[in-house]
Amino acid sequence: MGKISVVHYINQFFGGIGGEEHANEPVQVSDGPVGPGRALQQALGADAEITATIIAGDNYFVEEVGLASKAALEALRRHAPQVIVAGPAFDAGRYGLACAQMCRLAQDAGIPAVTAMTSDNTGVITYGADIVAVPSGSSPAEMQSIMAKLAGIAVKMGSGGELGPADGEGYLPRGIRKPLVREKSGAIRAVDMMEARLMGDSFTSEVFIKQYDVVQPSDALGSLKEKTIALVTSGGMVPRGNPDRLSNARAEGAFRYDIEGVRELTVEGWESVHGGFNTRWLNTKDPGYALPLRAVRELEEEGAIGKIHNTYYATTGNQTAVTAAKRMGGEIGRELLNQHVDAVLLVAT
Amino acid sequence: MSALPMIPLAVGANRIVRGVRVEHVCGDPALSEEMDRALTRRIVQTALGALQTQVDGPTLFEPSEGVAQKEAVHAS
Repeated sequence: MGKISVVHYINQFFGGIGGEEHANEPVQVSDGPVGPGRALQQALGADAEITATIIAGDNYFVEEVGLASKAALEALRRHAPQVIVAGPAFDAGRYGLACAQMCRLAQDAGIPAVTAMTSDNTGVITYGADIVAVPSGSSPAEMQSIMAKLAGIAVKMGSGGELGPADGEGYLPRGIRKPLVREKSGAIRAVDMMEARLMGDSFTSEVFIKQYDVVQPSDALGSLKEKTIALVTSGGMVPRGNPDRLSNARAEGAFRYDIEGVRELTVEGWESVHGGFNTRWLNTKDPGYALPLRAVRELEEEGAIGKIHNTYYATTGNQTAVTAAKRMGGEIGRELLNQHVDAVLLVAT
Repeated sequence: MSALPMIPLAVGANRIVRGVRVEHVCGDPALSEEMDRALTRRIVQTALGALQTQVDGPTLFEPSEGVAQKEAVHAS
C-alpha cells in the first residue's frame, strides 16, 4: 500500500506570505508542506505525505467564497488527495471559518477532511455539525501536539477507516448519534451512574447538555415612574381565533398584538394556543395568567410605572429550538430598543 | 416570570421571578378572585422590584408579601 496523500490548507500568515495586509491574497498552491505543514508531515511519519499546500488570505477565503472555492476545488482535482487537513486555526475567526469551509468543500467532493480550532471558533459555531474539528487552545505554541492529533485522524480517514465517537477520537461533537448495542441495558447504566454519583466516583452522562451563553445582566433601573415596560409571553397568548396562526409547538416567530387602551385580557377576546400544557385555566378563567395585563395596568394607573408599551409579543415556548429562540429574542429585543422600551416583563411557560 | 425557575436559572436568565404553575404562571385559580388578583399583583410587583435590583448573575426573586409592600427595592 502506498502512502496516503494529504493536501494541507493554511492561511496567508502561516503560509509565509504576510499578515493582515495580505489577508486578501487569492488562493495559491505550493507543492509539498509549507510552514506548519512541516510539523504535520513529521507527525504523519512514513504513513502519509503532504503532496500540496493550499494557501489563501483570510478575507479572501471567507469573502470571495465563489472564487476561492473554485480555485481550491481545482487544486483538489489536480492533486487528488485522500484526505485534507486544514489549519489549525486556533482562535482566529476568519481562518477558522476558512478551514471549516475548506473541509466542507473537500467533503462535498468526496474527500474526507479534518481541521483544528478552539471549540468556540466561528468555524465551529457556524459549521460545527458538518466538520471534524479537533479542539485546540488559542496559542500556536501547542502546534506540535495538535498536529499529532490531526495526523492520527487524517491517517485513519485517509485510509478509508471510519471515525468512532467524538469523545474517543478526540474531535468536537457534531451532534450525531448512531445506534449501537450496549453491553448493559439503559436501566442498569442509569443505576450505575446514580451509584457512581452517590459514591463520588466519576461517570459520563449519555445525555449531551447544551452549554448556554452567559448574558451580562443589565444594570438595575432606578424609579420606574418614567419608564416604559413591555409585555412578552411564550404562553401562546393570541387574539381568539389565532389570526396569525401562531403554531402550538416549535414556533419559529413571535407575533405582535395591540393592547393600547386594553385593560385586561378576557377569555372572550383572547386565547392560548400553546400545545405543551393544559390551557384550560388560560382559556376558561383568565388569560392574564400568561400575560398579567390587568395587574400591570393597575400599577400604570397608580403611577408605579410610566407606561405599558402599546404592543405585546407572543410566541409559543414549546419544543422551541435554541437557535430559533435566540433569533426571536434578538428580534424582539431590537424592536423594543428601537421603540425606547426600558424593560420587559416576560412570562415564560 | 416562570413556574419552573430552575430552567431560566440553568440557561442564564438574570432576573427570575417564581411563578405559580406552568398552567397559571401569574396567579392561582384555586384562590378566591380577590386573593388571586392580589397574588398576580404581588408577582408583577416582585418582577418590577427585580428590575430595580442590581444582580451579577442569574438571581431568583420570590414573590413574598414583603416585596409587594415596598415601593421600590433600592439598588446599591
